[in-house]
Amino acid sequence: MKLALENIQKSFGEKRVLKGVSLTAEGGKAFGLLGRNGAGKTTSIRILMGVFPADSGQILLDGKPLDNSQIGFGYLPEERGLYPKKKIIDQLVYFAELKGMCKADAVKGVDKWLERLGMTEYRNKRLDVLSKGNQQKIQLITALVHNPQIVILDEPFSGLDPVNAMLLKEVVREQIAKGKIVLFSSHQMSYIEEFCDSIAILHDGTVALRGDLYDIKRQYKRDKLVVRSAEIDKLISAFAAQATKRSDNELLIQLSSPDEKQEIMKQLTAQFDIDEIKVFEPSLNDIFVEYAGNEGQGGSRS
Amino acid sequence: MKQFKTILGFELTNYFKNKIFVGVTLFLVAVIAVVMFFPRLSAALTSEESAEQERAVMLVETREGENAALIEQTFAAAFPAYEVHMSGFDVTELQAPITAGEADCAFFIESLTSYTYYVNNLSLYDTNTDIADEALRNIYRVSAMSAQGLPADEAAAILSAPIEHRVETFGKDQFQNYFYTYIMIFALYMVILLYGQMVAMSVATEKSSRAMEVLITSARPVAMMFGKVIAACLAGLVQLVCIFGSAFFFFRINQSDWGDNPIIHSIFNMPAELLLYMLLFFVLGFLIYAFLYGAVGSTASKLEDINTSVMPITMLFIIAFMVVIFSMSSGNVDNIWMLICSYIPFTSPMAMFTRIAMSTVPVYEIVISIAILIGSVFGVGVLSAKIYRVGVLLYGTTPKIGSVLKSVWKA
Repeated sequence: MKLALENIQKSFGEKRVLKGVSLTAEGGKAFGLLGRNGAGKTTSIRILMGVFPADSGQILLDGKPLDNSQIGFGYLPEERGLYPKKKIIDQLVYFAELKGMCKADAVKGVDKWLERLGMTEYRNKRLDVLSKGNQQKIQLITALVHNPQIVILDEPFSGLDPVNAMLLKEVVREQIAKGKIVLFSSHQMSYIEEFCDSIAILHDGTVALRGDLYDIKRQYKRDKLVVRSAEIDKLISAFAAQATKRSDNELLIQLSSPDEKQEIMKQLTAQFDIDEIKVFEPSLNDIFVEYAGNEGQGGSRS
Repeated sequence: MKQFKTILGFELTNYFKNKIFVGVTLFLVAVIAVVMFFPRLSAALTSEESAEQERAVMLVETREGENAALIEQTFAAAFPAYEVHMSGFDVTELQAPITAGEADCAFFIESLTSYTYYVNNLSLYDTNTDIADEALRNIYRVSAMSAQGLPADEAAAILSAPIEHRVETFGKDQFQNYFYTYIMIFALYMVILLYGQMVAMSVATEKSSRAMEVLITSARPVAMMFGKVIAACLAGLVQLVCIFGSAFFFFRINQSDWGDNPIIHSIFNMPAELLLYMLLFFVLGFLIYAFLYGAVGSTASKLEDINTSVMPITMLFIIAFMVVIFSMSSGNVDNIWMLICSYIPFTSPMAMFTRIAMSTVPVYEIVISIAILIGSVFGVGVLSAKIYRVGVLLYGTTPKIGSVLKSVWKA
């Protein structure tokens, strides 16, 4: 299963929100949709789900135009909220029925998920008696109970304690393992790095960067070394202008070319007491800031 | 269609599980019961007390010595609710028994053409002077005719010659239809305002609680809007059926106690044809307004904005109501305003129904009015669903109606 958004454009009034967004996500893999607030992530998601149409461009599933009535979507919106005064089972069954399940299946499915997430005891309680994290788990059920082929999770980990975050990670891995397309949108880069094979960074309605995360990282010039050592001051005086202190015992050494790498490494291990030495790779956070910062595109890819 | 049914079922259950909805319905049924059982209850109470109950006392004093007996006799006949006494008091002494509560009122008759009426509090509905005028005028005429040599009984017979009359109505009897038309128009008014607000509130609550984020991605806006509005309409109908049904039921139980009260009988003998028109105009009028309320509810970001947002719709509806009520009381329900209002979909449910009930309207006019209304209901329904789709995703300040319509047009 392969989902492709091709040159999607959308304006609201005079404001051009999406200026030709193209991206591709595959089944059995998680895709990270990144971007600063207002970059166009939610609009892209809503167009994908058919909440409103794009002004131009197309959405293809396995090469054919996407038919929203045929494909199941599961959506955990960033703005969470269900019916606070309603019984949990009633509203979960309602949402499942809206997604096309029959009542009996909906009840069965909801009960299965309540058990899976350890929420069975709240089945007949009102939503507003639950803590924020637990309400989020309930909302996750609305996104997954109908077994959708495409799962869209917008900031799924915000507000969860470490135990619940672990539970959610398991659930997400299960969904990926089932061959579904899992779309992640988050500002918590560590989760994106943990789950997503490929990413797209939206900036001001365009795709500033997209591709396989590993490849993206490899594309950066491998001309910096990260050195951890107790003799940091000696290193600084030895490398002078090439060295930047990252923390108390960590240093970044800029090489004049990637070819120097082996030689400098040898030199370092011979002359200093080195704890760790590695080629610098930017974190997703660094990449994000580089591409989604105000200056937009830039960077030092080779 | 399945989504529509699911939404309809969910929304309808919300109404029927709502304690306030159930409570208000039961309360109104109880009020109706008290009203409909009132003649029976009051008859039971008065029959026990009637033995010791005293009639109101009226004192009469006159300077017309030779007519005193005739005046007393005539007044006693003219005021059956009073115990009429010739007081024997002087004019200055008449105030004391009235202020002390020993007598309710007094007449001091200076001559057959002049008297003073004494009463403590003059009621809004006190017609005693009119009755006294008529009684004295009769005595005066009889005595004047007697003075001309006509025997008193002949003179009295001439003055009270009975006239027999019949009324044949070819169209509608406004007096008979006034009360049930009034009740129906008022019910329509109340139900549309109350339920319209509820629809707007329900949409705005979903939006402010962000349940909308999931809903809008799960269901089509048209299904959402029609499901919600039709559920409200059904709930409103169920409530009305409970209230009017119980009124009819209680009336049947107490029919004999109501005697021949013309108002009650006109209400409960409403023709079935009119009831069907009522139902049709009720449903269509309800839907068109509920759609508007729903659309407006979707543009409000906060619940407290609702009251301001729905104001223009409420005003439109109140104007329609006023035109109808004033035309009804003026007796001319076919005036130019009512004719215009009969074809405007937002006013026709009340205006056309009133004209059908209280006047004779050609069939083609009714058909045109209903056709416009049905078309408008669908048009407004679809437009509302579009506004809804745009409106529910707009957070922050409540958008201007112009900009919403522009987005709807583009979407």
